[in-house]
Amino acid sequence: MTQTCQSGVALLMEYLEGSVAPDVAAAIERHVSGCTRCQAFVESYRLTPGIFRTATTVELPEDLARSLQEALRRER
Amino acid sequence: MPAGEIGDSDEALAAQAAAGDPSAFETLVIRYRSRVYGLACRLTGNESDGADVLQDTFLQAYRHLSSFRGDARFGTWLYRIATNAALMHRRSRARRPVESLDEYLPGFDEAGRHRRTPDELIVASRAEELIDRRTLAAEARKALDRLPETHRAAFVLRDLEELSTAEVAKVLDIEPAAVRQRVHRARLQLRGYLNALAGERA
Repeated sequence: MTQTCQSGVALLMEYLEGSVAPDVAAAIERHVSGCTRCQAFVESYRLTPGIFRTATTVELPEDLARSLQEALRRER
Repeated sequence: MPAGEIGDSDEALAAQAAAGDPSAFETLVIRYRSRVYGLACRLTGNESDGADVLQDTFLQAYRHLSSFRGDARFGTWLYRIATNAALMHRRSRARRPVESLDEYLPGFDEAGRHRRTPDELIVASRAEELIDRRTLAAEARKALDRLPETHRAAFVLRDLEELSTAEVAKVLDIEPAAVRQRVHRARLQLRGYLNALAGERA
Protein backbone atom coordinates (compact mmCIF):
# COMPACT_ATOMS: atom_id res chain seq x y z
CA MET A 1 0.00 0.00 0.00
CA THR A 2 1.40 3.40 -0.98
CA GLN A 3 1.04 5.81 1.85
CA THR A 4 0.63 9.48 0.94
CA CYS A 5 0.09 12.60 3.03
CA GLN A 6 -3.51 12.63 1.80
CA SER A 7 -4.30 9.02 2.67
CA GLY A 8 -2.73 9.51 6.12
CA VAL A 9 -4.72 12.65 6.80
CA ALA A 10 -7.92 10.82 5.89
CA LEU A 11 -7.23 8.25 8.61
CA LEU A 12 -5.66 10.56 11.17
CA MET A 13 -8.40 10.54 13.82
CA GLU A 14 -8.98 6.81 13.42
CA TYR A 15 -5.24 6.34 13.83
CA LEU A 16 -5.00 8.57 16.92
CA GLU A 17 -7.90 6.69 18.52
CA GLY A 18 -6.29 3.35 17.78
CA SER A 19 -9.05 2.19 15.48
CA VAL A 20 -7.03 1.35 12.37
CA ALA A 21 -5.51 -2.08 11.68
CA PRO A 22 -1.92 -2.54 12.93
CA ASP A 23 -0.46 -2.74 9.40
CA VAL A 24 -2.22 0.49 8.43
CA ALA A 25 -0.96 2.18 11.60
CA ALA A 26 2.57 1.03 10.82
CA ALA A 27 2.35 2.38 7.26
CA ILE A 28 1.14 5.76 8.56
CA GLU A 29 3.97 5.89 11.09
CA ARG A 30 6.56 5.03 8.45
CA HIS A 31 5.28 7.78 6.20
CA VAL A 32 5.07 10.44 8.91
CA SER A 33 8.51 9.67 10.32
CA GLY A 34 9.99 10.59 6.93
CA CYS A 35 7.68 13.49 6.05
CA THR A 36 8.24 16.89 7.66
CA ARG A 37 5.00 18.24 6.15
CA CYS A 38 2.97 15.53 7.86
CA GLN A 39 4.85 16.04 11.13
CA ALA A 40 3.92 19.73 11.07
CA PHE A 41 0.36 18.94 10.06
CA VAL A 42 -0.15 16.30 12.75
CA GLU A 43 1.18 18.58 15.46
CA SER A 44 -1.15 21.42 14.52
CA TYR A 45 -4.07 18.97 14.17
CA ARG A 46 -3.47 17.63 17.68
CA LEU A 47 -3.23 21.11 19.19
CA THR A 48 -6.36 22.50 17.53
CA PRO A 49 -8.94 21.13 20.02
CA GLY A 50 -7.09 22.58 23.02
CA ILE A 51 -6.79 26.00 21.40
CA PHE A 52 -10.53 26.05 20.72
CA ARG A 53 -11.26 24.75 24.22
CA THR A 54 -9.32 27.55 25.88
CA ALA A 55 -10.70 30.20 23.53
CA THR A 56 -14.34 29.24 24.22
CA THR A 57 -14.15 28.66 27.98
CA VAL A 58 -16.77 30.59 29.95
CA GLU A 59 -17.46 30.89 33.66
CA LEU A 60 -20.97 30.47 34.98
CA PRO A 61 -21.96 33.89 36.37
CA GLU A 62 -23.22 33.78 39.97
CA ASP A 63 -26.48 35.55 39.18
CA LEU A 64 -27.22 32.93 36.55
CA ALA A 65 -26.57 30.11 39.02
CA ARG A 66 -28.98 31.84 41.42
CA SER A 67 -31.74 32.41 38.87
CA LEU A 68 -31.47 28.76 37.81
CA GLN A 69 -31.97 27.69 41.40
CA GLU A 70 -34.99 29.98 41.72
CA ALA A 71 -36.54 28.69 38.49
CA LEU A 72 -36.18 25.14 39.77
CA ARG A 73 -37.71 26.02 43.16
CA ARG A 74 -40.74 27.50 41.40
CA GLU A 75 -41.06 24.27 39.45
CA ARG A 76 -41.56 22.12 42.57
CA MET B 1 -28.62 12.73 57.13
CA PRO B 2 -29.74 14.91 54.23
CA ALA B 3 -29.89 13.36 50.79
CA GLY B 4 -27.48 14.39 48.09
CA GLU B 5 -24.21 13.80 49.84
CA ILE B 6 -21.03 14.32 47.89
CA GLY B 7 -20.23 10.62 47.72
CA ASP B 8 -23.51 9.66 46.03
CA SER B 9 -23.34 8.65 42.39
CA ASP B 10 -25.25 10.72 39.86
CA GLU B 11 -27.54 7.81 39.20
CA ALA B 12 -28.32 7.32 42.89
CA LEU B 13 -29.10 11.02 43.21
CA ALA B 14 -31.32 10.92 40.13
CA ALA B 15 -33.26 8.02 41.65
CA GLN B 16 -33.69 9.94 44.92
CA ALA B 17 -34.78 13.04 43.02
CA ALA B 18 -37.29 11.02 40.97
CA ALA B 19 -38.66 9.67 44.26
CA GLY B 20 -39.40 13.25 45.30
CA ASP B 21 -36.29 14.44 47.09
CA PRO B 22 -35.57 17.97 45.84
CA SER B 23 -32.20 18.28 47.57
CA ALA B 24 -30.90 15.32 45.54
CA PHE B 25 -31.73 17.16 42.34
CA GLU B 26 -30.11 20.31 43.67
CA THR B 27 -26.88 18.39 44.18
CA LEU B 28 -27.00 17.23 40.56
CA VAL B 29 -27.59 20.80 39.42
CA ILE B 30 -24.56 22.01 41.37
CA ARG B 31 -22.49 19.17 39.96
CA TYR B 32 -23.41 19.83 36.33
CA ARG B 33 -24.46 23.47 35.94
CA SER B 34 -21.04 24.82 34.91
CA ARG B 35 -20.49 22.05 32.39
CA VAL B 36 -23.97 22.42 30.92
CA TYR B 37 -23.54 26.19 30.68
CA GLY B 38 -20.18 25.76 28.91
CA LEU B 39 -21.67 23.26 26.49
CA ALA B 40 -24.70 25.50 25.86
CA CYS B 41 -22.55 28.56 25.13
CA ARG B 42 -20.33 26.60 22.78
CA LEU B 43 -23.28 25.13 20.91
CA THR B 44 -25.34 28.30 20.63
CA GLY B 45 -22.40 30.64 20.10
CA ASN B 46 -23.24 33.21 22.75
CA GLU B 47 -23.80 33.60 26.46
CA SER B 48 -27.34 34.89 26.44
CA ASP B 49 -28.59 31.89 24.44
CA GLY B 50 -26.37 29.72 26.61
CA ALA B 51 -28.19 31.00 29.70
CA ASP B 52 -31.59 30.13 28.18
CA VAL B 53 -30.42 26.66 27.23
CA LEU B 54 -28.98 26.10 30.71
CA GLN B 55 -32.34 26.82 32.27
CA ASP B 56 -34.29 24.81 29.68
CA THR B 57 -32.03 21.84 30.20
CA PHE B 58 -32.45 21.57 33.95
CA LEU B 59 -36.18 22.30 33.83
CA GLN B 60 -36.66 19.57 31.24
CA ALA B 61 -34.45 17.19 33.18
CA TYR B 62 -36.46 17.87 36.33
CA ARG B 63 -39.79 17.36 34.58
CA HIS B 64 -38.64 14.15 32.91
CA LEU B 65 -36.70 12.57 35.75
CA SER B 66 -39.10 9.63 35.76
CA SER B 67 -38.05 8.82 32.19
CA PHE B 68 -34.39 8.57 33.20
CA ARG B 69 -33.52 4.92 33.39
CA GLY B 70 -30.60 3.74 35.40
CA ASP B 71 -29.17 1.90 32.38
CA ALA B 72 -27.65 5.11 30.98
CA ARG B 73 -25.33 7.48 32.74
CA PHE B 74 -27.00 10.58 34.11
CA GLY B 75 -24.39 12.83 32.47
CA THR B 76 -25.06 11.30 29.05
CA TRP B 77 -28.80 11.76 29.48
CA LEU B 78 -28.36 15.37 30.61
CA TYR B 79 -25.96 16.20 27.77
CA ARG B 80 -28.48 14.82 25.31
CA ILE B 81 -31.17 17.11 26.71
CA ALA B 82 -28.80 20.08 26.58
CA THR B 83 -27.63 19.33 23.04
CA ASN B 84 -31.21 19.07 21.79
CA ALA B 85 -32.22 22.22 23.65
CA ALA B 86 -29.34 24.11 22.05
CA LEU B 87 -30.33 22.80 18.63
CA MET B 88 -33.94 23.92 19.10
CA HIS B 89 -32.72 27.27 20.28
CA ARG B 90 -30.54 27.80 17.24
CA ARG B 91 -33.32 26.76 14.90
CA SER B 92 -35.74 29.20 16.51
CA ARG B 93 -33.37 32.03 15.58
CA ALA B 94 -33.55 33.29 12.04
CA ARG B 95 -29.98 32.89 10.95
CA ARG B 96 -28.34 33.87 7.75
CA PRO B 97 -26.93 30.92 5.88
CA VAL B 98 -23.28 30.57 6.79
CA GLU B 99 -20.37 29.97 4.50
CA SER B 100 -18.81 26.55 4.89
CA LEU B 101 -15.24 26.14 6.06
CA ASP B 102 -14.32 23.84 3.18
CA GLU B 103 -11.78 26.31 1.86
CA TYR B 104 -9.71 25.58 4.98
CA LEU B 105 -9.42 21.84 4.37
CA PRO B 106 -5.84 20.75 3.69
CA GLY B 107 -4.74 20.82 0.05
CA PHE B 108 -2.79 18.08 -1.75
CA ASP B 109 -1.06 17.80 -5.11
CA GLU B 110 -1.74 15.00 -7.65
CA ALA B 111 0.66 12.72 -5.82
CA GLY B 112 -1.31 13.19 -2.59
CA ARG B 113 1.41 15.34 -1.02
CA HIS B 114 0.66 18.34 1.22
CA ARG B 115 0.74 21.48 -0.93
CA ARG B 116 1.96 23.63 1.94
CA THR B 117 5.44 23.61 3.42
CA PRO B 118 6.11 22.46 7.00
CA ASP B 119 6.51 26.09 8.10
CA GLU B 120 3.16 26.98 6.58
CA LEU B 121 1.47 23.91 8.08
CA ILE B 122 2.74 24.35 11.63
CA VAL B 123 1.64 27.94 12.15
CA ALA B 124 -1.81 26.97 13.55
CA SER B 125 0.07 25.56 16.57
CA ARG B 126 1.22 29.07 17.39
CA ALA B 127 -2.27 30.63 17.32
CA GLU B 128 -2.26 31.51 21.03
CA GLU B 129 1.09 33.23 20.73
CA LEU B 130 0.28 35.13 17.51
CA ILE B 131 -3.34 36.15 18.07
CA ASP B 132 -4.51 38.20 21.05
CA ARG B 133 -6.91 36.45 23.39
CA ARG B 134 -9.99 38.47 22.66
CA THR B 135 -9.63 38.13 18.91
CA LEU B 136 -9.00 34.43 19.20
CA ALA B 137 -12.11 33.98 21.37
CA ALA B 138 -14.27 35.86 18.85
CA GLU B 139 -12.78 34.00 15.89
CA ALA B 140 -13.21 30.62 17.60
CA ARG B 141 -16.93 31.31 18.08
CA LYS B 142 -17.28 32.50 14.51
CA ALA B 143 -15.60 29.38 13.20
CA LEU B 144 -17.72 27.03 15.34
CA ASP B 145 -20.78 28.85 14.06
CA ARG B 146 -19.80 28.01 10.50
CA LEU B 147 -19.70 24.24 11.10
CA PRO B 148 -22.71 22.19 10.05
CA GLU B 149 -24.98 21.55 13.05
CA THR B 150 -24.17 17.85 13.37
CA HIS B 151 -20.42 18.41 13.07
CA ARG B 152 -20.47 21.24 15.61
CA ALA B 153 -22.24 19.08 18.19
CA ALA B 154 -19.83 16.18 17.68
CA PHE B 155 -16.74 18.41 17.86
CA VAL B 156 -17.93 20.37 20.90
CA LEU B 157 -18.84 17.23 22.86
CA ARG B 158 -15.73 15.26 21.91
CA ASP B 159 -13.02 17.91 21.85
CA LEU B 160 -14.24 20.82 23.97
CA GLU B 161 -16.25 18.96 26.62
CA GLU B 162 -13.79 16.06 26.33
CA LEU B 163 -16.28 13.20 26.28
CA SER B 164 -15.01 9.94 24.84
CA THR B 165 -16.05 8.98 21.32
CA ALA B 166 -18.26 6.25 22.80
CA GLU B 167 -20.00 8.76 25.09
CA VAL B 168 -20.55 11.22 22.24
CA ALA B 169 -22.05 8.40 20.19
CA LYS B 170 -24.54 7.78 23.02
CA VAL B 171 -25.40 11.47 23.44
CA LEU B 172 -25.99 11.96 19.70
CA ASP B 173 -27.43 8.49 19.16
CA ILE B 174 -25.10 7.72 16.26
CA GLU B 175 -22.33 5.15 15.64
CA PRO B 176 -18.82 5.84 17.00
CA ALA B 177 -17.49 5.73 13.41
CA ALA B 178 -19.87 8.56 12.51
CA VAL B 179 -18.66 10.55 15.53
CA ARG B 180 -15.05 10.14 14.39
CA GLN B 181 -15.92 11.13 10.83
CA ARG B 182 -17.68 14.34 11.96
CA VAL B 183 -15.12 15.31 14.58
CA HIS B 184 -12.27 14.68 12.14
CA ARG B 185 -13.82 16.88 9.46
CA ALA B 186 -14.44 19.65 12.00
CA ARG B 187 -10.85 19.40 13.26
CA LEU B 188 -9.49 19.63 9.72
CA GLN B 189 -11.57 22.72 8.96
CA LEU B 190 -10.88 24.42 12.28
CA ARG B 191 -7.17 23.64 12.07
CA GLY B 192 -7.10 25.25 8.62
CA TYR B 193 -9.02 28.25 9.90
CA LEU B 194 -6.54 28.75 12.74
CA ASN B 195 -3.70 28.28 10.32
CA ALA B 196 -5.01 31.04 8.08
CA LEU B 197 -5.58 33.40 11.02
CA ALA B 198 -2.20 32.75 12.56
CA GLY B 199 -0.47 32.76 9.16
CA GLU B 200 -1.58 36.34 8.53
CA ARG B 201 0.21 37.37 11.71
CA ALA B 202 3.32 35.22 11.54
